[in-house]
Amino acid sequence: MQTTFIKPALGFYTALFLLFLYGPFVVLGILSFQTGPNGGPQFPIIEWSTYWYQDIFGLTPPSRIAPLPISESLTRSLVLAVMTMVVSTVLGVISAQAFRSRFKGSGVVFYLIVLGMMVPGVLVGLGLALVANSIGLDRAWWSTAFVLHVVYTFPFAFLVMLAIFNRFDASVEEAAWSLGVSPIKTFRKITFPLIFPGILSAMLFAFTLSYDEFSRTLFSSGRDLTLPLAIYGTFSIEIHPNIFAFGVLTTLFSFALLAVYAILMTLSIRRAKRFAIQEEA
Amino acid sequence: MNVPLATSELTSAPSGTGARASRVPYVLIAPGALWMFLFLVVPMAMMVYVSFWTQTTFKIEPVLTLKSWQTFFSSDTYLSALWTTLRIWLMVLLATLVVGYPTALFVGLFIKNKTLSTVLLVLCVIPFWTSFLIRVLAWRPMLGKEGAINIILQALHITSAPIDALLFTELSVVIGMTQIYCVFMVGPIAFMLGRIDPNVIEAARDLGASFGRIFRTIILPLSMPGVIVGAIFVSVMVLGEFATAAALSGRKVNMLGNIIVTQVGSLKWAFAAVVGVVLTVIMGVVVAAFLRIVDLKREL
Repeated sequence: MQTTFIKPALGFYTALFLLFLYGPFVVLGILSFQTGPNGGPQFPIIEWSTYWYQDIFGLTPPSRIAPLPISESLTRSLVLAVMTMVVSTVLGVISAQAFRSRFKGSGVVFYLIVLGMMVPGVLVGLGLALVANSIGLDRAWWSTAFVLHVVYTFPFAFLVMLAIFNRFDASVEEAAWSLGVSPIKTFRKITFPLIFPGILSAMLFAFTLSYDEFSRTLFSSGRDLTLPLAIYGTFSIEIHPNIFAFGVLTTLFSFALLAVYAILMTLSIRRAKRFAIQEEA
Repeated sequence: MNVPLATSELTSAPSGTGARASRVPYVLIAPGALWMFLFLVVPMAMMVYVSFWTQTTFKIEPVLTLKSWQTFFSSDTYLSALWTTLRIWLMVLLATLVVGYPTALFVGLFIKNKTLSTVLLVLCVIPFWTSFLIRVLAWRPMLGKEGAINIILQALHITSAPIDALLFTELSVVIGMTQIYCVFMVGPIAFMLGRIDPNVIEAARDLGASFGRIFRTIILPLSMPGVIVGAIFVSVMVLGEFATAAALSGRKVNMLGNIIVTQVGSLKWAFAAVVGVVLTVIMGVVVAAFLRIVDLKREL
């Protein structure tokens, strides 16, 4: 049979594919342990050390290599990501709620929202910078960049919530109302627990996308840089392994976020299961 | 749905509960729609408008003119950036399809175990959760003259001297973009392949069809909507790219996005707007063309 040969071949190909996806990371990780301050961002490793990790936290004596300009921009990026997360999740939930019933113009509004994640950042960034210039508004990370981050992440939150509401059995809510439970209590006890996994996913999307957002921020953030902009600034000059070490740390941070998400998700699923068992008993 | 509604502003209100409730969807959708209109539609319209403004050395004035447009179409720099953009787009699109399709085929069709296929898909998505710029930068120690690939090639005696052409060329830009964007190709294709009824393939096999024939007549046509969705994602992202091109070509490869960044840097807003409009038109045409190939609404 031919397929007996095809399956292992495709499996081998997939392994190569994963190597292609992860190879650069592995190399980056290895080189982040290059010795400092004289080791360059290439092979061979002269001596293994954690010099560049110490360098990021300002623990090394001053050298000819300027430290990464990250401390203030990191705070800005985190604040911006939280602001974006809250606003786009709220917008996503209420917009998806609106789509639970057919209304006039829903098709147009759907495309309008989805457009936000499709239009390249460099275009809307340019457009918003032009608008801000013409009305004499100063661009800043917490104003113009913030609204663009929401334009980008709100569609993700919206689509996640739409998927959740699609699988949602409205009769549970109706049963609660007909039994005389107040709408607010129904939302708290019935609706919210049911859509909670969706809200969690929407928050994760919005936070990570905003935290990492670069092209939209470039033209819309004004003088104070966010983290990706600060990183981009170092590209044009000579690069040092400190940026590799930083890459490893941000990757670990993202994984920590994913882990928190996974834990919260498991907890909510377990709680839902426990409820189901109680009801059967 | 005949339950009277106490408070119409309640977010969990069901639909169609009389005249009062019919306003509810509009109230709920208004903030989101308004946000998108003000911060997406208005800026894009502004870009089109400003492309007809008069550009002086450091400012723009709202005096309508076609001068910036004429500059664009008579300048070799801009036109060559246009060709570079289209060339890189086509190469990356083809590369993501060639690199991604077999993987999607394996994950979506050949892996019967649901857990294993989920694990493989998650493995494909994980790099997406790390910083975009770090992913771009990670290619430098891979492709450089003393980079990992050159070291491996020489250690295996495939090449005797390091290959210079790997980094800071158009090739490095294409390699970098292929790695970054191929996930968007794998996902939709694997999704469509996963929905193929195994009985159809089984039946074809029982009737004596070869794998090549099954692939051509069943698998490929049924995966086309996935290919199209992936192609739209990849196209829109690659056409709007500038960071990868700048970082992996040493600013030698200039796409339209790079031109916009340079023009904004030297306060040539009207020129930047012209390039932006050109880019928007290209994307519109590309997406519309893809949507004509497959009727997504019917297929999905």
